[in-house]
Amino acid sequence: MTVKIITDSLSDITSDIAKDLGITIVPVYVRFGEKVYRDRIEITTDEFYYRLTHDSTWPTTTQPTPYDFAEIYKKIAKESDEMLVITLSNKLSGTYESAVHAKTLVETKCRIEVIDSLTVVMGLGLIVIAAAKAAQSGASLDELIQLVNGAMPRSHAVMCFDTLKYLAKGGRIGKAQGLLGSLLSVNPILTMKNGEVSPLTRVRSRAAGMKYLYDFVTGFPNIEELAVEHATTPDEADDLIGRLSKVFPRERIYRSTVSPVIGTYTGPNVLSVSVLEAI
Amino acid sequence: MIKKVETIGGQELREMLTAATAWLEKNASDIDALNVFPVPDGDTGTNMLLTMRSCIEEAYRAPDESASAVIKAIADGALMGARGNSGVILSQIWYGIARGLEGKKSFTGGDLANALLEAASTAYKGISNPVEGTILTVIRESAAAAKEQVANGSDDMISVMEATVNAANESVANTPSLLPVLRDAGVVDAGGQGLYTILEGAFRYLRGEAEQMQFRKPQLIVSNMPLTGRSPQMLAADEIPFGYCTEFLLKGKSIDTGKLITKLEKKGQSLIVVGDNNTVRVHVHTLNPGNIINIVTRLGTMHQVSIRNMDEQRQDFLELQKERMPKIDMAIIAVVSGDGLNDVFSSLGATAIVPGGQTMNPSTKDLLQSVESVSSDSIIILPNNKNIVLTAEQVLSLSSKRVKVVSTKTIPQGVAALLAFDYEADFETNTNIMEKAKATVKTIEITRAVRSTKLGDLEINKKQAIGLLDGELLAAGSTPIDVISKMFAGLDLNKAELVTIYYGNDTESTEAEKVSATIREQYPQLQIEIVRGGQPHYDYIISIE
Repeated sequence: MTVKIITDSLSDITSDIAKDLGITIVPVYVRFGEKVYRDRIEITTDEFYYRLTHDSTWPTTTQPTPYDFAEIYKKIAKESDEMLVITLSNKLSGTYESAVHAKTLVETKCRIEVIDSLTVVMGLGLIVIAAAKAAQSGASLDELIQLVNGAMPRSHAVMCFDTLKYLAKGGRIGKAQGLLGSLLSVNPILTMKNGEVSPLTRVRSRAAGMKYLYDFVTGFPNIEELAVEHATTPDEADDLIGRLSKVFPRERIYRSTVSPVIGTYTGPNVLSVSVLEAI
Repeated sequence: MIKKVETIGGQELREMLTAATAWLEKNASDIDALNVFPVPDGDTGTNMLLTMRSCIEEAYRAPDESASAVIKAIADGALMGARGNSGVILSQIWYGIARGLEGKKSFTGGDLANALLEAASTAYKGISNPVEGTILTVIRESAAAAKEQVANGSDDMISVMEATVNAANESVANTPSLLPVLRDAGVVDAGGQGLYTILEGAFRYLRGEAEQMQFRKPQLIVSNMPLTGRSPQMLAADEIPFGYCTEFLLKGKSIDTGKLITKLEKKGQSLIVVGDNNTVRVHVHTLNPGNIINIVTRLGTMHQVSIRNMDEQRQDFLELQKERMPKIDMAIIAVVSGDGLNDVFSSLGATAIVPGGQTMNPSTKDLLQSVESVSSDSIIILPNNKNIVLTAEQVLSLSSKRVKVVSTKTIPQGVAALLAFDYEADFETNTNIMEKAKATVKTIEITRAVRSTKLGDLEINKKQAIGLLDGELLAAGSTPIDVISKMFAGLDLNKAELVTIYYGNDTESTEAEKVSATIREQYPQLQIEIVRGGQPHYDYIISIE
């Protein structure tokens, strides 16, 4: 029986890919004032970024409840006897805790394993995709756990920000604190390291940022999976994909958008690439 | 129009301090991270916040709406709820203000200035061994500024508060120069920062910014000294074990605080005794809390007793600091002149600044000293001037540290190199990245000819504006704008995106705006940023990248 793969909406896996690969996505919540929305389901990416930049209310985010996970576990337990949950970094969100806690709420013979990916966006997405592909070709749960643990250090997500104000305001600035307060306008470039947001460098224009992302990807000799994401600038994402298609087949590049929950911390105009290095 | 506020009554005082407390709340954890004095317990911000919350709670229990009743309630709240060293000193401050506003239904800016003076004097008296460079200095200097503002004939509440807040800001920035432990730690005093944030919050509220405050965050004040990076080991070096941090509220009848101080002084350090003869808040660091308890239980009953092991606290603090600190094993020293450029380099992460530039070349010794003083063992120097590159290279053989010079010859090259610093890369890779980055910018410098001369086809008169492109004299003209236009016309701007204009000490910002407008008109595709550089000699330093 195929092992079922579950992840959260911060993996930025599009619904088409999720459907193809049989991945279940648990939405994280974003809240404007009193109103709570399920990430990507009750609020679209476009609508979210519009409100982020036009509303006077500042959004906040909330992890899925253990109950949310438990409901999904129960449903999947009817179809399979093994499932693997891969969540975003536990240092950014309590989603992992909810997923673990939910196991105690479900009475089932189905084996449920939860892994903290220590990363987010397509950095997480590519790990999940690799696991789902392996599950489809018959890998066991133990093999999948090994695969995910092996993929984690090979997964690299890099983001070019327009500003760090959203990240700082949301309290997720982590080690990038030192990039705050610059007196020149800069585009900070950040990555995920040990589960936390970490600085890489700074550039002074979006074009330089795109070049950095391009150079970052092409710096890897062997790429297994590649993803390009944007928040509000689809043309830039297409441009970058066009350039990257010289080093990696265009049809294999995942193109996605940065989810509203992540957008709460990145702000609009963020651009991101994720690479899963080949072994 | 500037808002005027003549007087403040009890209700407004309450609202103002509620807003100030909310403002402090946003900053509390940042302030916690600053804490290094007198013991690294890392909770100054939280302690001050909890003290303020207790103030606000009591403020709503005031018997009437007069300013004096409300401030008295606030002072009582502070006394009851004071936490930690800074909380206790803060309660002293409220106690002093309450004394200064006694009997007033509402108060003016003049009354406030007097009350602040009273607060400063009360705060100093409450501490057996006052130390400068702390919250004490900040309240004293702020109060003095308030008084001066009033003496200059400005009794309006807003202007008095503004003077107070500005003075507090300066005072906080100056704390590291008064207190070596702060200087070594590379931080400003946490208690002082907390007080500043409270004053700033109150001032913003008074100015009618309650709405905006919800969406903003208070900023930590940056020290006005070149910082040397933070090292927890270094912080700990000066600290001796303090034993137990002992805090409690003593309630009794006619307690003689003077006598109490004399008795407790011998039993511990960092003693603070605050209150009246019925209720006294005590904070002391002692090796034997039992002695303290024996003394005070004879005088009354103990409440809210807290005894914490400070050696344990210190360990926790060091762990916390280690976690919080990005591992900076490389330092960058930049040679810069001009206050604006100083700030630019500091804000971009330069570890230390050595003053110098055109006509003011620092000596090898100056650079060596800076290299030795930073806590890191691997150091990159950005000379930012062609005449300083060689001097900088002398340091390599003189220091036992690992030093590399990235030979930046202009300020824009230095900025480009500094920005390109890669947090994940090692020393060698970083110097290569920075060398490469400096080549990505073009620098235009506009200065004045010191004498008349002829250079090729170029006829130059003394004091005329002249322009250099990457150090090469290319154009002369009657005005800087004129020269800049000529130079831009000769550049290949196809690949350029961003122009940064650093205007000098003798240049007006309005003129810089004009330069920017002229460039924008000619080259609308370029993004232009204007920054005050404050550099001498050069009217403009322009970076094109």
